Amino acid sequence: MSNRTRPLSPHLTIYRWPLTMILSILHRATGVSLSVGLIIFSVWLFAIAFGEQYFTFFVYIFSNWIGRFLLVVWTFAFFLHFCNGLRHLYWDTGRGFDRERVEISARIVVFCSLLLTSIFWLYL
Amino acid sequence: MAEFRLPINSRIKKGKHFDAPNDATNVRRYVIYRYDPDLDKNPRMDTFDIDMDNCGPMVLDVLIKIKNEIDPTLTFRRSCREGICGSCSMNINGSNTLACTISASSIIGNTKIYPLPHMPVIKDLVPDLTHFYEQYASIKPWLQNKSLPPENSERIQSKEDQEKIDDPAACILCACCSTSCPSYWWNSDRYLGPAALLASYRWLVDSRDDAKNERLDEIEDSFRLYRCHTIMNCTNTCPKGLNPAEAIANTKKMLIERHT
Repeated sequence: MSNRTRPLSPHLTIYRWPLTMILSILHRATGVSLSVGLIIFSVWLFAIAFGEQYFTFFVYIFSNWIGRFLLVVWTFAFFLHFCNGLRHLYWDTGRGFDRERVEISARIVVFCSLLLTSIFWLYL
Repeated sequence: MAEFRLPINSRIKKGKHFDAPNDATNVRRYVIYRYDPDLDKNPRMDTFDIDMDNCGPMVLDVLIKIKNEIDPTLTFRRSCREGICGSCSMNINGSNTLACTISASSIIGNTKIYPLPHMPVIKDLVPDLTHFYEQYASIKPWLQNKSLPPENSERIQSKEDQEKIDDPAACILCACCSTSCPSYWWNSDRYLGPAALLASYRWLVDSRDDAKNERLDEIEDSFRLYRCHTIMNCTNTCPKGLNPAEAIANTKKMLIERHT
């Protein structure tokens, strides 16, 4: 036998991601992006407090397509985190754990957050 | 911090190709992870084209055929071939399952077979489960009761009490769930993983066990228990259809109820 240390079997790259696993990592990712968003949100509030020229400048930065795209992503991140957070609260009661229900609630979360994001941008 | 990339000695290289016999008409391709500890080489993926007309129906039958007829060095664990021993657990087409209970024809396209994910590999499809078994032992998987059983009788359970442990006690310790869990991948040194926690739950709800408090004390830890983030891979992958995620959620609930 050689002295090589045992290799580690492959994991992330070979595992087929179920929707529930994708949502779980998205929950974390959206959580992080929302914290970044919160900083920018407070800059926006400061801009209002500091006066019109700052506010106009801030609005100008976010009025191009990159800014708009970021805002859409942030609202989607917010709604996804919100809906999935409700799912986690429901789970904390010890219910909704069988395979079918977990899959159904995952789909509901994705659907609701897409719906809420479109309502937000189309009607508000 | 979790290490997402495989260590250099674990990165997979291209392997050999074994053709099916020329007269074979019903051929399936199997791409299988190989690692030989006697060679100073990285793991590789070997390709086997199998004549399915001369092969049993299950993926395990394919592996046995390869070992018997094509490459006798192919190494894997197997025993009962009916889903009760838990030996032939491996990653088949991206999900952990038992090779003996998954039918070869249920897989569309080529079949990729890896050992259980994020485990040290001894050889080919055989992972080192020492740490996994140690974690199982750490939850003290036996009945703890200071009183003696009634004279001339067992400790009697009601039907309802027995039903509470029917499912968790059906675990065969194949390690499919624990090795499907990203939390376990990154923190298996400290997180017990779904299999050990399901076993722990089996004793927590046993009406004959009186060490519930001590058991809860043992696992009430931000890593041992609370590294479960309800990713649900364990329940999705369990070849016995058990629900470790639910058992873990119920354990967390017990802890909350104990604090109130």
